[in-house]
Parts: sequence; structure tokens; C-alpha cells
Amino acid sequence: MKFSATKEKLLEGLQQVQNVVSTRTTLPILSNVLLQAGDGSVHLTTTDLDVGVRGSFEAEVEKEGATTLPARRLFNIVRELPAAEIQIDVDGKNAASIRSGQSFFKILGLPEEEFPPLPKFEEAKVVTIRQKDLRDGLRKTSYAISTDETRYVLNGLLFSFKDNKLTLVATDGRRLAMVDIELEIPRSQETDIIVPTKAVTELQRLLTDEGDVKVSVASGQIAFDLNKTLLVSKLIEGNYPNYKQVIPAEAKERVTLERETFLNSLRRVSLLASEKSNSIKLNFSKNNIEITANTPEVGEAKESLPVQYKGREFSIAFNPEFFMAPLRALTEDEVFLDLIDEMSPGVLKIQTPFLYVLMPMRISS
Amino acid sequence: MDEKCTQLWQKLSAALKPHVSADTFKRWFSAVELAAVTPKALSFRVPNNIYQYWIESNHMAALEAAVLTALGEPREIKFISSESPVEDAELAMPSKQTNSTVDAKPASTSLFGLNPRNTFESFVIGPNNEIAHAASLAVAQAPARTYNPLFIYGGVGLGKTHLMQAIGQYVVAKKKNTKVIYLSSELFINEFIDAIQHNNLVKFRKRYRQADLLCIDDIQFLAGKERSQEEFFHTFNTLFDGHKQIVLSCDRPASEIANLEHRLVSRFEWGLTAELQPPAIETRLAILRKKARGMQIKLPDEVFEFLANRIRSNVRRLEGALMRVASFASLSGKALTQEVIEHLLKDILQEEARTSITIEQIQRKVAEHFDVRLADMTSKRRPASIAFPRQVAMYLARELTKSSLNEIGDAFGGRDHGTVLHACKLVKKRMTEQDSIRQTISFIDSSLQR
Repeated sequence: MKFSATKEKLLEGLQQVQNVVSTRTTLPILSNVLLQAGDGSVHLTTTDLDVGVRGSFEAEVEKEGATTLPARRLFNIVRELPAAEIQIDVDGKNAASIRSGQSFFKILGLPEEEFPPLPKFEEAKVVTIRQKDLRDGLRKTSYAISTDETRYVLNGLLFSFKDNKLTLVATDGRRLAMVDIELEIPRSQETDIIVPTKAVTELQRLLTDEGDVKVSVASGQIAFDLNKTLLVSKLIEGNYPNYKQVIPAEAKERVTLERETFLNSLRRVSLLASEKSNSIKLNFSKNNIEITANTPEVGEAKESLPVQYKGREFSIAFNPEFFMAPLRALTEDEVFLDLIDEMSPGVLKIQTPFLYVLMPMRISS
Repeated sequence: MDEKCTQLWQKLSAALKPHVSADTFKRWFSAVELAAVTPKALSFRVPNNIYQYWIESNHMAALEAAVLTALGEPREIKFISSESPVEDAELAMPSKQTNSTVDAKPASTSLFGLNPRNTFESFVIGPNNEIAHAASLAVAQAPARTYNPLFIYGGVGLGKTHLMQAIGQYVVAKKKNTKVIYLSSELFINEFIDAIQHNNLVKFRKRYRQADLLCIDDIQFLAGKERSQEEFFHTFNTLFDGHKQIVLSCDRPASEIANLEHRLVSRFEWGLTAELQPPAIETRLAILRKKARGMQIKLPDEVFEFLANRIRSNVRRLEGALMRVASFASLSGKALTQEVIEHLLKDILQEEARTSITIEQIQRKVAEHFDVRLADMTSKRRPASIAFPRQVAMYLARELTKSSLNEIGDAFGGRDHGTVLHACKLVKKRMTEQDSIRQTISFIDSSLQR
């Protein structure tokens, strides 16, 4: 295999596929990137057996062929090469000679036959989504995915393709984030799947605000086809729990908050929230919210915010990080906080279909 | 729900209501039913597992307080989801990472070569194996995060395979997709040789190095097989570096396996080494009773005591004898007198007697181990290098034979019974002080009983 390409294109290509390579691999071949040189381009593939990425870059291919080379090492070398043009020549023993300007590198690779192939998607359910919508939806929900390995069914994002919308749900048992994306879904393509966290993170990295992404689902695998890159992932086996049960029916009070101002106040006050009783208290009184945090032996913080509130006086406490995460992810100016009482969950809403249910913490007297 | 459960649930609900808001109770607890009550745990049936996750994450304190109020003592809380597929319906999901064990025996574990009867639940714990048991449970609950590797050693029929398979069962039951590999080292070696011959090494390596939990039984068979040891060395490293759990079993401590590469020995000793010793009489009785209960066999107490007294060497033999006696009783309907049982178990009892030890055997073994002459056992020489082995031999004679102190003293060159008593006390003290001495004596003990 022999090809030459610009450093810029090669680097960009390698960048796309680097993250999937696991640092603690069980098989040596998994820390390699598969290079396939063909008609005017070179395809790059990496995988960790759960998630795989395939990208490509333009190149002048003198001799077609394929091999696998250590991904991290190749990336580091290419990054440091002096000149703009790079030539790579791989011999029959999978040893790659890399030439650029006056620099010469030789690294040893492994044969392409050993590289695990990405799954095929025959008879798949296919849906096309605008990248901007999906990116927005993922941002609004992915922070709430559970990291508790014993609840493996929650270690991913629910993609529910139903009733002409895509509903994304993430929960960890203490809070739940949900967003709806309008989508045309033929009856035959309806399905519920759970996409693991690693794939969601990788997808967020690859999504842009332009164009579409083609989503294919077949036999326990999902593929995202976008911007000349293909992301493939195993799906989490199991049924996502009935999240609708979590969402409170009605609110007793609704407060309108200026998102950014409120977020900044929370951030400041939570500096004094202790590691042990990590909570901030919200006191609602006539047209005012008082946000307080208190750590014994250290100190306290307090901030007041004017707000439209005519309901009864009451207090409720929340985990500061769990409250700030959705506020950071949203971009709207105003958010609505629905409350029932101090022992019931609060719900954050905006004008478009989104909600965030958050359980309160006990207020210690 | 049956009557008892309904009543108890009403009591629990009443105790729970003050701890949670009305909305919470209506939303999360009105659909909950009490499925089963045992002295140790309560099993709640919920419509689907979001209930379990949400209640576990947010309302456990309230639920536990209600249990305490209603029952007067804490109980373990488990959840069963009505929506789960048929095989899981038998599985009561434990709510926390406590010492709970999983009840069902999913069919899939037999795919890994695991005998479904070998679980933590069916393992009888006694002072002879409580450390090994605790370590195995810790490993099963958090693989690769507690003791890695786990090295279990002990004589024949003492529970090594049982514990290893129990770990495998537990891990698979908890997380379906775990890749558990259980096999004897002999099978590993054979597959390795096969792979070389058919040029299938890549597939072989892929299979073993992708395991999440690797359990290898009777690792002592690697002794003398250099190439297999090397392959195992690489497999071990790959798994260990990838934070995957390795469990090994052996018939002796790692350092005593002859012809084993030193780098393997040091790796085996890297994690936790746990010994399985022969059970004492109380444990033997417990094992018999548990087994009899499990098979719904009813036998008079004297029979259990007889078996526990006469069969001391290993659990397998003990259980075999129980089966024999039980089948005889049920098939022939004859009364079980001592003569009848003795006749029935004639060959087993003879085995036990044959391995019952003489003082001379003990002296020989101890002398061999400490590299002194047999004559030194009976001589009057006092230097510690000779006196200590003599004392060890006296201690073992006391422990392993039925001889009186006088008889033992006579066997050691006409010594006083007080001397023997002193020797036993001294050796016992030294054993608690120095681990090496305890290990040495344990080794001699087991090699005598073989």
C-alpha cells in the first residue's frame, strides 16, 4: 500500500477516529487503526469492540492496499512532521515507512485480516435526523445518564422512535432529563433502543450544526452516518424502565426564572455547599427566592433573587450540581420551575418539549 | 399477595406514610405489593424496574424506617419486577450491594461449564473456610476491584471448585453480559496445544484474553509445561492489566508447586491467597444437615453424628456417605442401626482408617520435613534445631491420633506426659505468633492425611 496526502488532511482524519481507541485494550490489534487505501482516498477505522468509527481523507493513492498501525503513535508522529506533504509506504510485512521532508519514520503494524470488521446493517430500520436537532437533544440530556454499573440498563441514552417523534431520555434514579425531537417516522421504523454512554459522547463530538445524520438500527447495533464519518455501536440489551412513571402530574407552584442569572447565583452559593451534605436550599417567599448553602465549621453563603412568585412560603433543597447541569445545557433565556412541596420532585421546563425532573434533598433542621 | 403478606403490607404502609409525602406514597408505593417475607428479607413486587431504581435512590431511608417500626428489626429489602422476562421472574433483585445471594439458577450458566448447584448459598461456612468464602464473595461482588488474583488452595474435596463456580454464578446473575470463563488448567493446556497444531492461536488468545472473569481450576497441572506456562503468563498479564478478575485454585500453596516459573508463582501470590482446610466436626455436621435438608432426607441425629465423627478427611466423601445411607434407608425401609451403617460404608470407613495416622508416620514426616534424623525424635538431645521438630511431632501426634499423653510420651523415648503437654502448648503459641510455622505445620498435616 502506498499513498501520499497533506499533513492537514491526514491529521484531521486521524483525529476523527482517535477517541474510540481504548487505552486499556485486551487485544493488541484494538490499539491500531485500520487503513484502507483505495480510489483517491484512505479509510480509517478504529474500534474497541463496543464502539467503532470509520472516517476517511483524500489522498493520492499510488498502490492500493490495507494494513493496521498503532493509532496513538501514528497520530503523534504525523502531528510532529515538518513538511506539508507526507508519504506512507507499507510493505508486505505491515511495516510502514513515513516520509515527510527530511524526516523518516518506520513503524510496525499488524495485518488487516486481524482487525475486527464493523458490523453489517442488513434489514435495518433507518431514520434521517437533522444534525442540529440531534446535537441539541443530546446536549440537553446526556449529562443525566447514570454511571452506576450495577444498573447497566441506565448506562445509556434511550432513543424512542415513536408517534412521529424521537424522544431522548436519561436518568440515574435521582433525576431524569427528557427531550422530544419532531421527526417523520414510518410505522415500520418505530423502535426503542438504548445507546451506551461512550457512543453518545463520541456522537456529540462528531455532530455539527449542518446537514443530516442517517441512523440505522439492526440486530443490537446502531450506526450513525454523518459528514463522511460512520459511528457504529452496540446497543444496551434490555428494556429501558418506564420513565413516564417518574414525571409528576401537576404542579402546585410555577416560577419563572431567568436562566443565566439563576445559574450564576447557584454557582456562587454552591461554593459553600459541603462535600458531606451537598445541598443548597431555596426559600420561596413573596416575589423573592433566597438561595442558601451552609457548611458547619466553614461558613455559609446566601443570595436573594427577585422573581415573580405569589404562592405560599416554603423551602426546598436540591443537589447544586444536579440543578446546574440542565441550566448549563439549555440556551433559553427563561426556564420554568414547577414545584409541589419540599418532599416532591421539581420539574424544569422550557417552551419546547423538554423536561428535567429532580428529586429534592432532605432539609436537615 | 397472601393473607400474611397483605396484613404486613398494611402495617408497613401505615408506618411509611408519615415519612413520605402523600404524592410520593400514591405515586410510588400504592402499586407496590409485598411478595414474600423471610426472617432475613422482604421481597417487594413492583410493576416495572423504574420503581426499584427510583425507590432505591430516593426513598430507602423512609422504607427502612417503616420496616423497623413495623417489624421491630431491620430486614434486607429486595425488589421483584413484574415486567421482567420469564427467567428473571425467579430472581429477586437485591436492593444494595450487601451479602445477599441470588436465588435463581439461570440456565445460561451451564453454558460456561458451571454446575448450577455450586452457589454461595449452598456453601456451608465454617472456621475452616470462612476467609476463603469471604474473599470469594468480595470478589464476586466487585470483580477486579478487591483481590486480584484470588488464589484458593486446599486438599481434595474441600470446596475449591464450589467457591470458584459460585463466583462465576454470582457475577453472571448480576450482570448478564459478563464473559465468564471457567475451566481446568488441563483443558486450557489441551486447547492451547490444539490451537498450535491447527494454527488457531489468534482465536485462542482472543477467546481467553477477552474474558471479564477467568477461573482456572487445579492450576498445579501447569507444573513442568513450559510453553503452556508462558502462554498463561501472557494471558494473565493481559487480563490483569485490563482490570479483569482472575481466580485460581490449586491443591497446594503457590510457592510449593514444583517446576513452576518463578514469575508465575510471584503473580499468583500477588493478590490474596486463601486456604481451605478440612472442616471440623461442627462444620461437618452442618454440611450434612444442610445437604439432608436440601434433598429432603430425614435421618435420626445419631446417624449424622456417626457420619460426622467417622468421616473427617473431605467433604465429598462425607456427602457420598450421606447419599448412600439415605438411599439405603429409603429403598430398603430397614432401620438404621450402627452395625447396618458400618456395613454399608465399610469401604469408606476403611479408607478413613487407612489414612488414620500412626505416631511413627508423624515422626517420619516431621523428621523429613525439618531435615533431622528419625532417631532424633526419640533422643534426649536438647538443641532447638532438634527439640522444636520433636515438639512439632508431639503436637501433631496429639492432634491427629487418639493416643493419650502418656502413650505419646512413650513413643518419643519414654518422655513424661507433662513434656508432651508443654510441647503442644508451645507449638500452638508459636503457630499464632509466626505465620510461617503455622503454614509449615498445616502443610505437614495435610500431607499426612493424603
